[in-house]
Amino acid sequence: MRCGYGLAALPGTDARLFSPEPSFLRLPRTVHPTRIKFGSFKIRAKIGEARKETSFYDMLGISEKGTLPEIKQAYKQLARKYHPDVSPPDRVEEYTERFIRVQEAYETLSDPRRKALYDKDLALGLHLAFSARRRYQFDEELEDQSEWRNRWQTQLSELKRRSMSRDAGGNMSWGARMRRQREEQSKQV
Amino acid sequence: MALCSCSFPAIVSCCAAASEPQKSTPFASHLLGGSDLGFHPLLKLNQVKKRPCGVYASLSEGAEYYSSRPATPLLDTINYPIHMKNLSVKELKQLADELRSDVIFNVSKTGGHLGSSLGVVELTVALHYVFNAPRDKILWDVGHQSYPHKILTGRRDKMHTMRQTNGLAGFTKRAESEYDCFGTGHSSTTISAGLGMAVGRDLKGERNNVVAVIGDGAMTAGQAYEAMNNAGYLDSDMIVILNDNKQVSLPTANLDGPVPPVGALSSALSRLQSNRPLRELREVAKGVTKQIGGPMHELAAKVDEYARGMISGSGSTLFEELGLYYIGPVDGHNIDDLVSILKEVKTTKTTGPVLIHVVTEKGRGYPYAERADDKYHGVVKFDPATGKQFKGSSVTQSYTTYFAEALIAEAEADKNIVAIHAAMGGGTGLNLFLRRFPQRCFDVGIAEQHAVTFAAGLACEGLKPFCAIYSSFMQRAYDQVVHDVDLQKLPVRFAMDRAGLVGADGPTHCGAFDVTFMACLPNMVVMAPSDEAELFHMVATAAAIDDRPSCFRYPRGNGIGVQLPPGNKGVPLEIGKGRVLIEGERVALLGYGSAVQSCLAAASLLESHGLQLTVADARFCKPLDHSLIRELAKSHEVLITVEEGSIGGFGSHVAQFLALDGLLDGKVKWRPVVLPDRYIDHGSPADQLAEAGLTPSHIAATVFNVLGQKREALGIMSSRN
Repeated sequence: MRCGYGLAALPGTDARLFSPEPSFLRLPRTVHPTRIKFGSFKIRAKIGEARKETSFYDMLGISEKGTLPEIKQAYKQLARKYHPDVSPPDRVEEYTERFIRVQEAYETLSDPRRKALYDKDLALGLHLAFSARRRYQFDEELEDQSEWRNRWQTQLSELKRRSMSRDAGGNMSWGARMRRQREEQSKQV
Repeated sequence: MALCSCSFPAIVSCCAAASEPQKSTPFASHLLGGSDLGFHPLLKLNQVKKRPCGVYASLSEGAEYYSSRPATPLLDTINYPIHMKNLSVKELKQLADELRSDVIFNVSKTGGHLGSSLGVVELTVALHYVFNAPRDKILWDVGHQSYPHKILTGRRDKMHTMRQTNGLAGFTKRAESEYDCFGTGHSSTTISAGLGMAVGRDLKGERNNVVAVIGDGAMTAGQAYEAMNNAGYLDSDMIVILNDNKQVSLPTANLDGPVPPVGALSSALSRLQSNRPLRELREVAKGVTKQIGGPMHELAAKVDEYARGMISGSGSTLFEELGLYYIGPVDGHNIDDLVSILKEVKTTKTTGPVLIHVVTEKGRGYPYAERADDKYHGVVKFDPATGKQFKGSSVTQSYTTYFAEALIAEAEADKNIVAIHAAMGGGTGLNLFLRRFPQRCFDVGIAEQHAVTFAAGLACEGLKPFCAIYSSFMQRAYDQVVHDVDLQKLPVRFAMDRAGLVGADGPTHCGAFDVTFMACLPNMVVMAPSDEAELFHMVATAAAIDDRPSCFRYPRGNGIGVQLPPGNKGVPLEIGKGRVLIEGERVALLGYGSAVQSCLAAASLLESHGLQLTVADARFCKPLDHSLIRELAKSHEVLITVEEGSIGGFGSHVAQFLALDGLLDGKVKWRPVVLPDRYIDHGSPADQLAEAGLTPSHIAATVFNVLGQKREALGIMSSRN
């Protein structure tokens, strides 16, 4: 199960997972809105900030209207900066994590189809965290495929079953009669 | 992508650890735009894929296309389907890839139908792998998707002659190969023919398979239902493969972009594809069946039936009701699935008729085709690497375009004018009309018979319908023309494009007979323009004829370059009046339609021999211009009627009149020049005309022959080009 991010404000989470920068909040998981306590205005504001801050566009540092070359350039820059190999040794984890997220941002934004979906989600105010969207889509396609496969496998087995009793004595269709005739002739031969 | 699949917040360090061994490769490949990023294919570098087994293709995943022949190691070993029998499924996939690139390469050199062929590559491979052609019969509806089939059945070395004179036909043709079981070209015939072959097999007591491949567009024609109805009744074993790619009209796009397919059937088929079966219900049904099980076969069968009915959705019951067992939908580009299904069905005895619903994508595998609105249905030569077609430039436009413009001009003036076509928006030019008058253009799907009667109904209500149907497709609707339109004298206008010889498409699309079958109808006005200006005038004339049906025919090709009437608005001609183009003596050439241009050319040929011919344009075959014909017959020794049509057309009507008027009792000699009594094979238009004997040289030679100057006739014939 995709775990996604935990809320920064949630108690009990491993402090080790958070970056040293306290303002860098993770996003709430969209599937569990009840978990987010919107009692405090401040928290809400912070979440809002978080939403704005860590959209893929922000992560790459480009505007929403960025063209593909711009996206590519931004990605390359950040990838070079945050790659674990070239990161300062004390911040490897943080940089790796950033790198991975930049990577994902780039993957989404460089594929026009996924970019379109992402833009749509963003407009609706959702930021599906960390490959959740891709996974969902991928799953959907796989699910479709396996739906189809299950369906025709069922149909094939049904066909086999039907064919057993197809030419029983009662069936008087032309084809059945011809098949019986052919069987009898081949038996005689 | 291993990196992203680590779960958060299960430990970041695990991801970091996991990333270490793979650090360099993903980094490098991502910077270079690795294959899992869904990049634009042209930006990818050529990556050689190594497969575990010994054979591998050098095609990259992004598939660059070169102008030189792509490497096809596996396809090179296949000359006939029997050579495929020992391949593994993995090798079949590779074969499909190579076959696809071969099709693209070949079509880029010759032009032809690309999109449809690309969509059925996997299906062709699977069919030839599972079935044993030619003993097993595989029929391809319309036939324009048969290029992969031809490559696999011994004609690969002739693919460069596709659609050319003396080369391969663009559709399946029995005379060409024993693997082409049935000649196609017009749509929706394969189920009928396949049923005939299945019944024939049954009567002879044999055991081969019959497979009919038909598209969802062809499924909109009535004949497909007639055939399925009969197949369900006769219950003979056969397999129908419905190749569904959501392309019902040509192109499935108007000038401004893709449009959804016409017809209610298409939405039913889509529902079939997207229907999500109620999983739980199926599981329950299975569970119930299990519990019942044992000796309670009947009940279990009933439960199964109900469950299937519930989960398979509303569309499949259409085929089930007709008596065909429905299987699908199946991914038409997955060779695994196709092969396993076909094998299962093949090995099941006594299936009765089975329909396998295969979903494909037109133009699949060639990005330019996938993205184009018309999916590269029919293309001229193009450059595989860029997808750009080498369309010739011409000073004039096609008759099709002129017709559309003329009709638009008429429709601007008269709001009752409507246009009807049968799934040929691009071919008839009515896409232009659709753009201008979206509410007044009707695409009925591949249903010419319905189109004609539908037009008749419109005419009953006082509208002015223009039916734009190709001359050869009009053959399908003949009874409707006679009974529903002509008999009741309803003012339906028929615009018959592609009249006469049509070039690369060959005899299946040749419009040889329309003058014959239209002019013999009592109430029909039959006319033909000799150039594009005349076409504009005849559209206006047809719009003005409001008390009886009328028709006009025009050929494939471009205009000759005469001045068009201002504002594209023609002036109605006087009905039953022709015109004299050149005044001469002794010999008169009376042409009908585009043949007039050949007459003019013949006249200029003969000028150098000292003969001044009269050339006249009859314009109307019905009613004939009696005074013009009398005039010509009385003042000339020789009268030659020229048309690009079969016997029984314009020339015969002129002969009938001459005889009845007593003009044949005098001194005039009448000779007809018509299409010969045989089918002219596909080729270039010039070659076809030469084959048919309708070139200006042939007409000139005929003149000499009639005048008794045989030597000069021979001289003209041997000196041409």
